[in-house]
Amino acid sequence: MKIIPAESPAPPGTQALSARAWSALLLAFLLSGCHAPEQSADTDSAVIYLVEDVPAGLNYDGPAASLHTSQVGIVNLMDPLLEYAASPEVENGVQTSDFSSFEGSLAENWVYDPAEQSWRIDLRKGVYSCAGNELTADDVLYTFARAKSVSGAAPVGWFLASVASVASFDTSVFDNPAKRRLGDEISKLGRYSVKVFQSAPNPLFPHILTSFALRVFDSQEMRKHATESDPWSHQYVDEQTSPGFGPYCTERWIKGDEFVLTANPYREERAPSIKRIVFKRVPLSSNRFVIMKMGEADLSDRLTPREFEALAGLDNLKVIGLTGNETLFLHMNFKSPPFDNPLIRRAVSAAVPYDWIINNGYRAQAKQWLSVVPTRYPGVSENFQPPPGGLEAARQLLSQAGYPNGKGLEEFQENFQLSYVAEKQIALGPIANAIRAKLREVGIPVELNPIPLTQFGDRTLVKRDLPFALSDQEKPVVVDAGYAIQLFFASPSAGGVNNMTNYHNDSVDALWASARTTANPSARAEFIARALDQIAADIAWLPLAEFKTQWATHTELYGFRWYPDNSIRFSDLYRKEH
Amino acid sequence: MTKFVLKRLGVGLIQIVSLMVLVFFLIRLLPADPVARFVGLNASAEAYAQAEIALGLDKPVLEQFKIYLLGDEQTDGLIHGSLGNSWISGSPVLYHIGLTLPATLELILLSFLISVSLAIPIGVAGATSPNGAVNKGTLIYGLFAGSQPEFSWGTIFIFLFFVVLGVAPGPLGRISPLTEPPDPVSGMIVVDSLIAGRADLLLESLWYLSLPVLTLSFVLTGPIIKMVRENVSQSMSLGFIQYGEAVGLSKKMLASDSLLAAVAPTLTLIGILFSFMLGGAVLIESMFSINGLGQFSLQSVLAMDYPAIQGVVIVISSLTLLVYLLLDVAQALLDPRLRA
Repeated sequence: MKIIPAESPAPPGTQALSARAWSALLLAFLLSGCHAPEQSADTDSAVIYLVEDVPAGLNYDGPAASLHTSQVGIVNLMDPLLEYAASPEVENGVQTSDFSSFEGSLAENWVYDPAEQSWRIDLRKGVYSCAGNELTADDVLYTFARAKSVSGAAPVGWFLASVASVASFDTSVFDNPAKRRLGDEISKLGRYSVKVFQSAPNPLFPHILTSFALRVFDSQEMRKHATESDPWSHQYVDEQTSPGFGPYCTERWIKGDEFVLTANPYREERAPSIKRIVFKRVPLSSNRFVIMKMGEADLSDRLTPREFEALAGLDNLKVIGLTGNETLFLHMNFKSPPFDNPLIRRAVSAAVPYDWIINNGYRAQAKQWLSVVPTRYPGVSENFQPPPGGLEAARQLLSQAGYPNGKGLEEFQENFQLSYVAEKQIALGPIANAIRAKLREVGIPVELNPIPLTQFGDRTLVKRDLPFALSDQEKPVVVDAGYAIQLFFASPSAGGVNNMTNYHNDSVDALWASARTTANPSARAEFIARALDQIAADIAWLPLAEFKTQWATHTELYGFRWYPDNSIRFSDLYRKEH
Repeated sequence: MTKFVLKRLGVGLIQIVSLMVLVFFLIRLLPADPVARFVGLNASAEAYAQAEIALGLDKPVLEQFKIYLLGDEQTDGLIHGSLGNSWISGSPVLYHIGLTLPATLELILLSFLISVSLAIPIGVAGATSPNGAVNKGTLIYGLFAGSQPEFSWGTIFIFLFFVVLGVAPGPLGRISPLTEPPDPVSGMIVVDSLIAGRADLLLESLWYLSLPVLTLSFVLTGPIIKMVRENVSQSMSLGFIQYGEAVGLSKKMLASDSLLAAVAPTLTLIGILFSFMLGGAVLIESMFSINGLGQFSLQSVLAMDYPAIQGVVIVISSLTLLVYLLLDVAQALLDPRLRA
């Protein structure tokens, strides 16, 4: 077994016992019955975080990168070059970010030169990794070179760099191995400075630097663990730790069980107040709920709305959270009749029980989503309104479509199977059932079809043949409405990445193409706003709700801030007596 | 006896190989492509294709099978003792099995130890005194314990002993999250605490395992008692027991002889239950946050993690066959007629 040994000394009381002492001890134990052993000494300083799962991997180019739990690990071990600036606003115990401005994390200065389409990045000096190595330009070069090597199972670093038009980070790397080597698109200007060239003006570049990917590796430490067959140390990062310049170091990582972080001993500036974080896997939300309730942990998330509601009123606990970028929508595939009929799409949108979903499905910890991009993102307005009139309007729309009271729709019975992720049955099951009930009331023959996440991902991302689905897991990781259009709504021929409903509108593609190529920020915003209006009018997705990202925590823990990856940065937190 | 064991081993080997081949091809027929889950929904078609290559799924199935068995330039195959790497974590499947199997074994061994220790005397007492209080109590308990599945009892026990009475630990696994586990030798925390000479860890792990073991024992003890009682009752009507009774042997001696005659079917039941629990303890593991083999199997199946699924099947089937082999040997030792 490969368990990373703890560097801390063994707890007091450790001593070898003789066989006789063992016998006596066992006998005493059996006779006296079980009793609660005393906890270790560091209970006060450590934070126990109950999680659905611990990181499966820490490699943002590796197989577990898409898992939220892995991202939580990555962002606490590795710092990015830039972060979004903190907003003075605090909503329900959580500080928000100002997505229109950036602050340096590992970068001290960053300047765009429009003449040569390049970014000069000057690094902070005196930043050290957990191995004691100082951050230099070589680390940034190594990070981009590794991303361009597309050597990992899921090349997320390359993908984000290509989305931001970093020069020569294009699809040719997949066809030609020679193109996978880093050239002068990123050059070293000095020990602490680099320059990054873009192939086109693209404002997404600073945004992608804030994400969980493209965080800077400690190149010395990475090279130390490279092998001939694995020159980019994927195995080391998959199995041991992700060596970066973040606030925490990996103390112990037992996959599927626990993940323990300790403060980076070499970090002087911005050193974390909480010195030790224990991620404990408790897969059942009901168990996380009772453990929090009994005061045996400091922090938990991914509880059901009802469980959060129940914890909110308890002594020593608080529930905090805000509407960030977690959304719920109905997916209606344009290639699956009758969803190619706009009247049917409108009828469905009229019949959906929005209020029930918000008040019962999310226990009022959500609001109706009136856009196709999270409304917290800059430049996104509420431009979607379902047809007024509810069920009556739905019936009229069905009649106009030639299906009075749903007669004739039984022909499409297969396509009215409402799919959702079976693993999310507790959260999505009741909502899917409420939608089914209302749609059946107007004659739409909906049946429920929970399927495993893997199958759901395959049919939405790869096959794109899922006719009708309820989804709460799609969110653009880059905080930009243009990125969201490219990701979900642009046609593949227009550069669309994951158009899972097979939506196609020439005008949207043209607007996105204009937004991509313009160097004028206000013109870009205008193109994007018009594209979003069209997408909403076409009901490319049927937006249902924006729900809160929530945490249940001890009342003494403060400093929570919301980031678009929905992961806590433990270095933000501190304890304060309530 | 050697011939008997070798014959059983040969049959077992054929069974494992057949199962491995079957599973390899069957999981690839399932209507889901695992790549999408690994690259996530923010991925491009090129990233998807790259992931497909990285996982080896771009190759024909027969070639994938050949690589799985024999390996290639980059990876070892099954014949080298490698089960491949998990697609979820990137770690070797053997690492995950080494981590999770001891946790499951620890849970079920402790549970069986308690169950068998309780079931045999209670079953014998029930059989020797059919109208006694023990027998009646056993009947009621059997009905009660068998009336609900183990996860239901687990929930009730957590609520009762942890939430209401506060006399048991929370469902936080095999040890407190704040405690550093002992250096892994066997992977079973109870055993490793003993090896490390850590009384504090031993007590703590027994404390944390108390509720899951209680739950599993509570469910397992019922059928074992029933099996012991039925078989002892039947053996008490055998001629040699009745002869012993007629010549005035003590009740204790009669019970002991009846138990010996009843051991074989009871052992069979215990073996079957044990094998079932290797993969079937998943609900208890989930309920008490124990990182066991059942949990790993479940995650692997949901994620379509082919190497992990194949690895788990090979390990569980090998262990099951080993248990059955041991049972066969024990039966053969008890009854020489079976060695033929």
